[in-house]
Amino acid sequence: MGERQSGGGMPGRRHVRPGGTASGHSAGARGVLDDAALEALLAAAIRVEGVDAEGERRAVAAFRAAREAGVHQARARRRDDWRPREQRGLARSVKATLSLFVASLALGGVAVAAIGSAGSSSDDGDDKVRPTAPATSAPEQPAAPSSGEPSGSGPSDRPDAAQDTEAQCRAYEQVKERGNALDAAAWQRLVTAAGGEEKVAPFCADQLAGAQATSRPTPSTPARPTPTPGAGNATNGAGNADSGGSGQAGETDNGVGRKN
Amino acid sequence: MGQGGEPRRGHAYDGELGAAVARAQDGDEAAFAVAYRLVQPGLLGYLRGMVGDDAEDVASDAWLEISRDLGRFKGDGAGFRGWSATIARHRALDHLRRQKVRPRSSALEQDVLELPGVHSTHDQALESLSTEYALELVRGLPRDQAEAVLLRVVVGLDGPAAARVLGKRPGAVRTAAYRGLKRLAKQLGAEGVTDDGPRTLGESK
Repeated sequence: MGERQSGGGMPGRRHVRPGGTASGHSAGARGVLDDAALEALLAAAIRVEGVDAEGERRAVAAFRAAREAGVHQARARRRDDWRPREQRGLARSVKATLSLFVASLALGGVAVAAIGSAGSSSDDGDDKVRPTAPATSAPEQPAAPSSGEPSGSGPSDRPDAAQDTEAQCRAYEQVKERGNALDAAAWQRLVTAAGGEEKVAPFCADQLAGAQATSRPTPSTPARPTPTPGAGNATNGAGNADSGGSGQAGETDNGVGRKN
Repeated sequence: MGQGGEPRRGHAYDGELGAAVARAQDGDEAAFAVAYRLVQPGLLGYLRGMVGDDAEDVASDAWLEISRDLGRFKGDGAGFRGWSATIARHRALDHLRRQKVRPRSSALEQDVLELPGVHSTHDQALESLSTEYALELVRGLPRDQAEAVLLRVVVGLDGPAAARVLGKRPGAVRTAAYRGLKRLAKQLGAEGVTDDGPRTLGESK
C-alpha cells in the first residue's frame, strides 16, 4: 500500500517537496500526506468491514415487523427527502406553481364574491333607506302642505330628534281628530319622548309652540292645535268629574287620543 | 478533502444500494439486508468515532429507526447513506446526552501525538493504521472537524450531504473537513518522521 500510495501521490497533487524540504515547517511539510492516500488510510482503518450477522438479523427483523405493521406507508417528511437537489428543486417548483395557481383561483373567487356582495349590499342599502323614508315621510307628508316645511333635502338627511318629534306631533294633531292610529313606531317614539301616553298631548303642544316661535311664522295650523289639546283635556277632566251621560263624549274623545 | 470532487469511497456501490433500497421499500426483505451490508461499515465507523465502544448499540438503535422509517425515505443510494447517517447521528447524540459525555475536545490531542503505540515503525503507520489509533487521532480533533472527516471519508458523503447531516452550511463543513484532514496528515507525517525520518523522505519522494 505504501508503494501504491506514493505512486498515486507522485504525479498529481503532491504537496511540493523539492530539494529544500525543510524550508518552512520542518516536520509539517515533510509529513503532509497525500489527501487521497490519507483518506484511504482513514477509511480503511475506521470503516468496519465484515458485518456482524446478529446486527443484520435484528435489523431485518425490525424491517419485517414494520412492514407488517404497515408503518412503511408513512409519508415522507422534509428530512426524509434526499433526492438530488435538482429533483427536489423541481418538485418544489412544481408544488410552488400549483399552490400559486390555486391561490390565484381562490383570490379570484374572493374578488368575484366581493363584487357580488358589494352589489347586493348596495341594494340592501337602498332597501333599508326606502322603507324608512316612507315611514318618516308619511307623518311628515300631511304636515308639509300646512306648514310648508322646507325639509326638501330628502330622506337621506335625517331630521334631528326635535324635528322628528315635532313632525310626529303634527301628525298626531292631524290624525287625532279623524280617529286614525298613528304609525305604531312613531307613536311609541312620541310616547317615550313625552314621557308617558297621557303626556303626549301637552308635550306636543309645547313642542309645536316652541317650534312655531323659533322657526315658522305661519300661525294657521299650529295655532289651532295648541289650544285644542288643552281644551280636550279640560273637557275630559270635566267629563270624568261628571261621570254622567255627558262624560260619554269625553270618554270617546279621550279614547281616540289614547288609541292614537 | 477531496475538493477536486473525485469520486468518493462508497460511490462505487451507490447504484446497487439505490436499487436495494428501492426494492426494500417495496417490501423486499433480502434487499433490505443488502442495503444493511452496504451501509453498515461506514455507519458503524462513523459511530465509533462519535461514541467509541458503544457504537454497536447505537448502530442497532439507528437501524431500528431506519427499518421503521424506510417507507418515508426518498432518494437514491447516496441519499440513503446521508439519510441513514442523519438517523445514526441523532441516536449518537442522544446517547452522548444520556451519558452526559461532553463532546470531544482537543485535550486528547497531545496524548495522541505522544503515543508511541503500535506504530513504532514507518511501515505500520502508513500501510495500515490500526483502527484504534486512527480513531484516537480522529477523536483528538475538534468535534466539528472530526465529524466532518468521518462523514466525508468514512461514510463517504459528499460535501452538501455531509453539511445536511450536520445541519451546517456546506462551506463550513468543507472547511472543517479540510482542517481536520490537514491536522491528521501532519500528525501522521510527524509520527513517520520521528520514527524513521530518512526513509519516509526517501520513499515519499
